[in-house]
Amino acid sequence: MTRVPSLLSQVAVLSLLAVPCFAQNTEIDNQLDEIARVASVMVDGDVCQRIVTPRAVAFMSKRDPRDQWADSDNYDVDDAAFNSVKKTLIRLSMLADFPLDVNLWLPAPGTPARVQIAIRNRNELSQFWDWGKLSQEMFPEMRTVLTTGKRVTVKQKPGLISVLAPVRNSLDEIVGLVEVVTRVVPDVRENVK
Amino acid sequence: MSSLRNSYWAVVALELVCAGGCSALDLRALPEFFRPDPFGAVVASDRQGAQQLHQLHLRAARAGYVSFHLVADVEPGQQYQLSVDFPLPVDVYREWFHLNKPDALYYPDALIPVPGPYRSRMPEPDNHVPGQRAQSFWIDIWIPAGAQPQLYRGGAQLTSGAAHSNIPIEIEVLPAAIPGTDAVTLDNNSYGTSWMLSQYPETLARLRAGKGGEDELFRLIHDYHRIFYDHRGTFHQLGYGHAGKVAPEFAPVLSGSGKTKKIVSWDWFDRHYGPLLDGSAFRDSRRGPRPIPYMYLPINPEWPASFLWWGEPGYEAEFRNVVGEMERHFREKNWTSTTFEVFFNQKKRYKGFSWDGDEIRFRRDNDYLLEYHRLLRAAIPSTSPVHFAMRADTSWSMGEQFELLKGAITFWVAGEGELSWYGDAIGKLKQRGDTVWTYGGTPPVQSVSSAITLNPLRSWISGVEGFVRWQTVDPGPDPWFALAGGGEALVYPGERFGVRGPLASIRLKLQRNCLQDLALLERASKTSDQSGIQEEAVRRFNRTRLADWRNTPPALLRKPVLEWNNPDISDALKPWEARFSALEPGAWLRVREYALDEGGRAK
Repeated sequence: MTRVPSLLSQVAVLSLLAVPCFAQNTEIDNQLDEIARVASVMVDGDVCQRIVTPRAVAFMSKRDPRDQWADSDNYDVDDAAFNSVKKTLIRLSMLADFPLDVNLWLPAPGTPARVQIAIRNRNELSQFWDWGKLSQEMFPEMRTVLTTGKRVTVKQKPGLISVLAPVRNSLDEIVGLVEVVTRVVPDVRENVK
Repeated sequence: MSSLRNSYWAVVALELVCAGGCSALDLRALPEFFRPDPFGAVVASDRQGAQQLHQLHLRAARAGYVSFHLVADVEPGQQYQLSVDFPLPVDVYREWFHLNKPDALYYPDALIPVPGPYRSRMPEPDNHVPGQRAQSFWIDIWIPAGAQPQLYRGGAQLTSGAAHSNIPIEIEVLPAAIPGTDAVTLDNNSYGTSWMLSQYPETLARLRAGKGGEDELFRLIHDYHRIFYDHRGTFHQLGYGHAGKVAPEFAPVLSGSGKTKKIVSWDWFDRHYGPLLDGSAFRDSRRGPRPIPYMYLPINPEWPASFLWWGEPGYEAEFRNVVGEMERHFREKNWTSTTFEVFFNQKKRYKGFSWDGDEIRFRRDNDYLLEYHRLLRAAIPSTSPVHFAMRADTSWSMGEQFELLKGAITFWVAGEGELSWYGDAIGKLKQRGDTVWTYGGTPPVQSVSSAITLNPLRSWISGVEGFVRWQTVDPGPDPWFALAGGGEALVYPGERFGVRGPLASIRLKLQRNCLQDLALLERASKTSDQSGIQEEAVRRFNRTRLADWRNTPPALLRKPVLEWNNPDISDALKPWEARFSALEPGAWLRVREYALDEGGRAK
């Protein structure tokens, strides 16, 4: 049985947040940080750890010199785990009244030097994801979050603001992180491709 | 002096490079499949059988185009003028020479419409080809359906100072007219509109600045549909991303949630699609106005229902409310000539959703398609005259999907190579009323010119009804001076040349002319022995037998799909693909002669 917070409990927590319309970057920063703080509470790390199937992990951890797409073609997820976490991330994004995504990142299994994005959302925003990459080298900001549990605000790519926040499992281990990300000036056509 | 009426496959003395052989000013012609280079020769991939011509005699059916290259050899530094005089409508295009990155050679491809007479100097000032001494032009002559069948005479003249060079042009117009319906629907695919904003910074400046400008966007979209329609193709634009974001021009505006979710504005949707769905966007086309036959809907796992409600009553409520409204709106508008496609393009590797909609590999992902079929049936009245269809693009598991999704998916777009392993599938699918297309890529400019005809011909031979080139509007960051092959483009942005819309390519026009011929052959085959006609067509094309075009199931099919990989698929396809390698540039011209002979008999 999956450990997914009930709808009522999620609504109760989320309703504690008052989210004003943003006008300045500092206000956006504050909202993103607050949503990231809530995300650390709401996102279930145990469920997150069940998202990528063992078979997919096996393909990701070995390179096939004959087939550069072997890991992508065999990438698979546990539907129930993916969908329950994705729904939580969607709810979190609804706390803002501007376009916002909450992405889930997980350490790549067996390779602490790498990280993988596990769930993206509607606007496909991220300051870290390279299109199509199943896993990437660990980013220093993400390593900080995974090792210290502290939230980190990132403004590396012009126009994008991200706040990274830890995701914990029932053993109180940090097993992943969320990237709460927005574009200061929304682009309604970006990533429709 | 050779004539285009001569047999194209005849061995002729080649006159490939004019240096030392041609006069300083010379006007030459080349059959359409022999592309010139800027130095007086034919591009290397098209040289086999090339003929430089100083007179033209062409045959043509009515309601179609006849085409050729004119090549002006002019001394560097000299000004010149080219004019074409003909009693039928003539379109003249300057051929742009692209420096192609993969082989660092020049190829003509983009076609810039020029008024007649055309005046310039050698080398062409904006093309910047070092050592250029030849400028080529693509000539389209339109034969109206009402043209009198007879011999038409005209000519082309090149002048520079007091010198001049002429080519007489004769076109024998046959009584036959090319059918308006194609034997194969040639579909040109694309994704979203953000590429338009990149390729048309001036045309879409207001839109880019967020200051309105949507009318320019809609006009541009219509121009893209029109250019493909004019070249006997269709155009698809997918309006949503891999995680479900829908660009505003592709969907009506929604409001509410759950039971109250509804459409609140059709404005942009109708301005975008209205002229396409009633055909008025094509009112100025020589082919005449016609509604687009197919279009993607914006439906995806995140639209119109929020994925937040997936598996809950709210998802079905939102889906039924909005899709039901769409059906009513389409019905009221009488948009009943178009197939509205419910198509899922996402892949789980892109992390937006937990299942593959495109090219399903994992069996359980099909359950989602079955659920969407149920939702669609619940949303659409069974008696609706509006045609909605569930479409699936399939490769890995098509054999399994054809059975699992029987009755749910009625529009299949299958990987062309893999489908060849399922010999009787096409017939069975069509028998049960399904539409079957295949998909693939586009030959880059360095391929032999006739490669662009292979997919249309193979589609016609196999019996599928359409072929999708998966990306046709992306010529890369610098198509003019550093083309990356052009394997994802059949049109180019015209803004550089003051054209606020797309430019056709030589490959697009070769494909159009191939489709004209296939339409003639298809009509002939309806009143004759189709297999006999196809047998002769493939014999002329590449000296094969019809049986050579059929494939057999490889040993790979005996393994579970999850044990397949790309190299194994590629290896399994090699013997079949090898039968179509080493095409001659003049391959299609031999089929053309046959099409005019066979199709020309039917009025």
